[in-house]
Amino acid sequence: MDCKFVPSVCSYCGCGCGVLFEVIDGKINSTIPLKSHPVNHGQLCIKGWNLHEYINSFMRLKTPLIKENGSFQRATWDEAIGHTASEFKRIKKEFGPDSIGVLVSAKITNEENYLAQKFTRAVIGTNNVDHCARL
Amino acid sequence: MDTIKQIEQLILQNKVDIFLGYKDLDGHLIPHGFTKENLDELKDLQISDNRYSLEKVATHLTEKNPDIKIGIIARDCNKRALNLLYTWNQLNPENIETIDVNCCPSPLKSHSDCSYLEPRQSGEFKKENGVDYNIEPEAFMGKFDNNERLTRWMYEFNKCIKCYGCRNICPVCFCKECSLEHPNLVEPGTLPVEVPIFHLIRAAHMAGRCIDCGLCEEACPAHIPLRLLYREVNEIVSNVFDYKPGCSDEKSPFSVLGGDVVLEPKPMDFKYKEKNNGL
Repeated sequence: MDCKFVPSVCSYCGCGCGVLFEVIDGKINSTIPLKSHPVNHGQLCIKGWNLHEYINSFMRLKTPLIKENGSFQRATWDEAIGHTASEFKRIKKEFGPDSIGVLVSAKITNEENYLAQKFTRAVIGTNNVDHCARL
Repeated sequence: MDTIKQIEQLILQNKVDIFLGYKDLDGHLIPHGFTKENLDELKDLQISDNRYSLEKVATHLTEKNPDIKIGIIARDCNKRALNLLYTWNQLNPENIETIDVNCCPSPLKSHSDCSYLEPRQSGEFKKENGVDYNIEPEAFMGKFDNNERLTRWMYEFNKCIKCYGCRNICPVCFCKECSLEHPNLVEPGTLPVEVPIFHLIRAAHMAGRCIDCGLCEEACPAHIPLRLLYREVNEIVSNVFDYKPGCSDEKSPFSVLGGDVVLEPKPMDFKYKEKNNGL
């Protein structure tokens, strides 16, 4: 039987609390706060304490879904991204670039946020980019 | 280091299947399970001054495999927790091997090697309006009258963010159903939490259980002096029943009161049976 603890960062909000996953036989069993982490000093909120629950949840989405004729259909990543891109193109052409907005997140990295605003301004061609903290 | 050799021997002689200790990972001292397969990692073993509830991990492992033999780095608080878990049939003392290390300061022992080395200090505002972490129960009772104490505790309880961290980290919280999740006692999904009932439910359940390890207080994001609260509760148990949780292999007085078992312990081999019967 194998038991190890894997340090990670809480995936819920932008605080970035340090957590430890208790992994028994390759399966995450529980989450505990990382005591030596400079952000949370061994404390967590209720979401952090239950971080492991969605990982093994049977309701977790493992493939992208595309809505066709009112119901969701399983799709591959290529199909999903291709579909999104073509819809973006169609909407932009039909209603203009200002009909699209992008909302970025505190949870993703600086670099990802930069890329997202670059994509919004340079590719889509709108200034409609905002942050989830102002939602 | 002698401890590492001792642990190596335990693993090689098959006295334990897994040894729970701490190792250094990029500057973080985190718990780790050492087994025959990763014996070379044993050189990284450290006696961490961070405390984690290793005995809780042991109960998780035992839930999955009731026959597993577990070794544990044990401070006094770990040993008290283990004693208590033995008396409540959550762990089998025959399957647990401990390597003793220095522990935190307590009225019983002054030398320490853990995060309680420097007890948390209360700020001026907390001392003025709330409950000082380091005040002794008798001093607290003597210094303030009933109303003053209630006001001070209510100030502390009102900060609660209902994270359930105190329960989650507690090495001796093992009930199958938790009163703190009972919808008639604690309304689910609402904040702020109803005070003081939430904290008093837990305090009542800690009577005769709490082994005074202080992990709950360390894990509380609202800085509620939980250790002091449970100490006061246990003082009553000690006065009435002469029982100190975890200090002996005596059963808790609350496990024998009345005809019915009020707290049904989790069946240890539930998952094991489930796996074998294919249920």
